[in-house]
Amino acid sequence: MFQSKKKDLIQRKRLRVSPLPYFFIAPALVLFGLFTIYPFIRTIILSFTLTNQYGNPTKFVGFKMWQRVLSKAEFWDTILTTLKVAGITLVGTFLMAMIFALLCAKPVRGGKVYQTMFALPMAIASSPAAAIFLFVFRQKNGLLNSVLGTSIAWLQNMNTAIWVVCFVTIWLHIGSSFIFLLVGFRNVPDELIESSVLDGANGWQRMWNVLLPVASPQIFFVLFLNINNAFKSFAQIKLLTQGGPVNSTTTLIYYIYKNAMINGRFETACIQAIFLFLMIFVITRIQFALEKKVVYYQ
Amino acid sequence: MISDRNKKMLNKTLFYVLMLVLGLIFIFPLIVGFLFSIHTETELSQIPLKLFTPNPTLENYAKVFQSVPIFHYLKNTLIVCVIAIIAQVVISSLAAYGFVFFKFPLKGFLWTIILATMMVPGEVVVITNYVTIQNMGLVNTYPGLFLTSLISGTSIFMMRQYYMQLPKEFKEAAILDGCNDFQFLGRIAIPLSIPTISALAIYQFVHIYNAYFWPLLVTNKDKWRTIQVGISYLVTGDVEEYGKILAAAMVALLPTMLAFIFGQDYIIKGMVSGGIKG
Repeated sequence: MFQSKKKDLIQRKRLRVSPLPYFFIAPALVLFGLFTIYPFIRTIILSFTLTNQYGNPTKFVGFKMWQRVLSKAEFWDTILTTLKVAGITLVGTFLMAMIFALLCAKPVRGGKVYQTMFALPMAIASSPAAAIFLFVFRQKNGLLNSVLGTSIAWLQNMNTAIWVVCFVTIWLHIGSSFIFLLVGFRNVPDELIESSVLDGANGWQRMWNVLLPVASPQIFFVLFLNINNAFKSFAQIKLLTQGGPVNSTTTLIYYIYKNAMINGRFETACIQAIFLFLMIFVITRIQFALEKKVVYYQ
Repeated sequence: MISDRNKKMLNKTLFYVLMLVLGLIFIFPLIVGFLFSIHTETELSQIPLKLFTPNPTLENYAKVFQSVPIFHYLKNTLIVCVIAIIAQVVISSLAAYGFVFFKFPLKGFLWTIILATMMVPGEVVVITNYVTIQNMGLVNTYPGLFLTSLISGTSIFMMRQYYMQLPKEFKEAAILDGCNDFQFLGRIAIPLSIPTISALAIYQFVHIYNAYFWPLLVTNKDKWRTIQVGISYLVTGDVEEYGKILAAAMVALLPTMLAFIFGQDYIIKGMVSGGIKG
């Protein structure tokens, strides 16, 4: 009797809606609301208005600003530059990280020393890194020109500036890709490698048939991570080239910054921010869709 | 004659040395930054540049500490880091606890909202956030610098993953012993999650300390600049003193470099749990 009454009480206590869990999650939700959801909606609203120099709306104009932004060749050049930078850094970062991770795949005593070196740049902020690379690539008294005995304006030349920006971006991002790939390769069970050795597989075969398939979730993740990173790279462009020469290194994120903070055109910046979101969103969708088809799960 | 065993040893040593060399080449930019920061300005303006100066000097560092308010920048940065990290730990622990240990109406919907916010990169809303901070009159203030860093999806994910693997019996036993939720959280769940919290803290430290875009937007006075923004103004300023810039850059990158070298296991843990769920 008493037992069942107690059970009943517990049951009822469970059914009653307690405010407690809402209290626990409220701070996080409020902050996300204030600094992600609200500004996201506001970005969309502002794109249909004219704004004053403080970024507040003054007049509703419908799609007028959209038309103006989308009809500018400069805008599409920026998108193209963004894709170009993303493409180059993706290939560069991925190949280098892959080589480093394959070389480190087998744990070696003391190997942590060089593994730390390969991963280290991921902890280096982009602005001091840009300061060092500016010293390397600057025309007058630059290290590279001094070594080569040349006087090339690496950062002021249309053909070289974008490669310098990509080079710095690659260097900054190899570390995190390396770590993800290494975690993937280290996940490969030893028995799998041993049995492949017993089956007479050589190093290459082992890589193609054992390491890469088992690490495919990480490989896949790293590919998309780098596209995302490239879309968001800002400091190295701001400090090395300021988007120049002649906008040849102006990526979407730098264009957004320039429009809002230098030209005071917040509505234009908002439209471009929506494009940045759409590009990242589409890439993420493709990632999820492909993941199911391509990735091999154990 | 070399025995097989010795040959194997030799190969191993050779591989190790080659990997070390490769590693050094890879971090060569950092070595370059340091080696030239101990040159004099005159040496830096003489072509060809020499990698090793015959008379190394710390005068550039002395100049940085005298003429650049670098300690002030560091102080601003550390205040922002400490506040943001404490907030992230507390707020994400609470949220993760709520989502893992309770069943409540709208739970699925609210979790979807959190997942949805993770789909919006900070860079997309950075301009409108700046307008918000400006309208609140918080440009050139600490709240302006840290308000947008008080929570992150990564932190909630890390804490949630930790609580999910915590045996449910722990809580049942604690409740039977007369613990309420706050006592359970404060006395059992949080103390047990110290390793996860450390991982989160170090990971976020590197992240927030290195932030550039946001502090650039919300500060326009030297007094409020963080270290990254301060350094960047040296670089874009009209200065011929590159030795000083390199010295300042070395000072700026040292804290996160040390944090990485000593806390890399934690940072990697943070990256992996925030990145891949598989």
